[in-house]
Amino acid sequence: MHNFGFALEGAWKVLVAGLILGAGLPTLFALGVRSLAYGAGGSASGAPARPIGTLLGWACFAVVLLGVALGITFIVAGGFGKALSFEHIYPTVVDKH
Amino acid sequence: MAPALEVCGARGDDRGVTETTVVLVLVVVTALGFDFTNGFHDTANAMATSIATKALRPKAAVLLSGMLNLIGAFLSVEVALTVTNAVVKIQNSSGAPKPELLEGGGSALLLIVLAGLVGGIVWNLLTWLLGLPSSSSHALFGGLVGATIAGLGWAGVNWNGDGSKLDGLVGKVLLPAVMSPVIAGIVAAAGTWLIYKVTTGVAQRFTDNGFRWGQIGSASLVSLAHGTNDAQKTMGVITLALIASGDWTDTKTIPLWVKVACALAIALGTYLGGWRIIRTLGKGLVEIAPPQGMAAESASAAVILVSSHLGFALSTTHVATGSILGTGVGKPGALVRWAVAGRMVAAWLITLPAAAVVGAVMWWIGHLVGGTFGAIVVFVILVALAGYMYLRSRRTPVDHNNVNDEWDAEPELAAASKEG
Repeated sequence: MHNFGFALEGAWKVLVAGLILGAGLPTLFALGVRSLAYGAGGSASGAPARPIGTLLGWACFAVVLLGVALGITFIVAGGFGKALSFEHIYPTVVDKH
Repeated sequence: MAPALEVCGARGDDRGVTETTVVLVLVVVTALGFDFTNGFHDTANAMATSIATKALRPKAAVLLSGMLNLIGAFLSVEVALTVTNAVVKIQNSSGAPKPELLEGGGSALLLIVLAGLVGGIVWNLLTWLLGLPSSSSHALFGGLVGATIAGLGWAGVNWNGDGSKLDGLVGKVLLPAVMSPVIAGIVAAAGTWLIYKVTTGVAQRFTDNGFRWGQIGSASLVSLAHGTNDAQKTMGVITLALIASGDWTDTKTIPLWVKVACALAIALGTYLGGWRIIRTLGKGLVEIAPPQGMAAESASAAVILVSSHLGFALSTTHVATGSILGTGVGKPGALVRWAVAGRMVAAWLITLPAAAVVGAVMWWIGHLVGGTFGAIVVFVILVALAGYMYLRSRRTPVDHNNVNDEWDAEPELAAASKEG
């Protein structure tokens, strides 16, 4: 059952990366939504607008967009026989081996 | 063509070429037909949640998904010629067909591919009729495995690979099928739980608008990834057939017309939308709210992209279904219809063997009748079965008008509750 070992090895990597990107980014997005709401102030209670919340909100969305851009880069690069390398921590496009 | 047939006694070679051409055309048409069913079967994977939460109007959702599939298909420049190698042994590792299958103008290989494709299409259409989101890649691989067993025997199947990497029917198809929905489900459940934690108490006008965009973005990523992954498979199969018949020799590139035809077929299929499956995934499995829709599609996109980055092959359908189930588990108090989930899992289990049986039967029919006529008979059976299932679907049509109707108001259930 060598295949089972290979599959488990792949599976936990997919799970960890999936949790970071697939659950982490949406959570960040939700934080962004919350910050925007905080920044706009409570219309019912008459609380004043808080610009810091709006700023934080858009910062969250920017990080999420970067994540999405990474995903699209991966799809496009894969199509052209390239791959994403994370050996310098930040992603770079390299030739596929 | 007629004069060539009249003199065929004198020029046997010409006759061979003409007959192969007929079979080749049937294989190409059938492959494009499979690509089309692949598209409409899988629209739901990306768009069911956005349609169910009304983030997008149904028609707008399928149009967006179709266009992104088209773009995705053109982005897959990389050659997927060795796609069948994961499960059957009809090609060398370079992608060239096995030489022993090429006698008589490649007719042995063409019949296996044709029968396999028919197996895949028939199973895709049947599960669509029943509104079940089964995996198109499992249907294709199942059909090919069945046709190969019939044509070459059990040894023609790549069961377990050679032990050096994740390979074979077990490694590339069965194990990922068991693992990927679980992984996607865990990711989606975690995402859903966190999103609800973070946004408790936030005014609905902020969450609704925000998560609407989040859903559209994440669903678009899934559509794009689907186009790149799935259209490639058909491109590989058609190119394999062209090489077998001697109409193409390069194993490094794919003819442009093949790429264009496959991209259009999968995009058109996606645009037409398998509404029955969209309904099951969007309304039947879990009652989905906008934050759940975003969590589910983000989980699907992340799991699909990460695993293809790691070379871990999986089915978009299994991932999407796992994600939607996970998002139902992750929201406290959400309604999950486990009976619907059970039916889906049952469909997954039998997809591969059932498509294999159809593929094998088609190969035997084609082989018994023999030659070009055998291939034509197989094709006619496919058209007849497809036509029957289409007519059957018209009895209880599901389209963009009623795709979002309440699940529990289904006629038979409503009747049952009246009696009870």
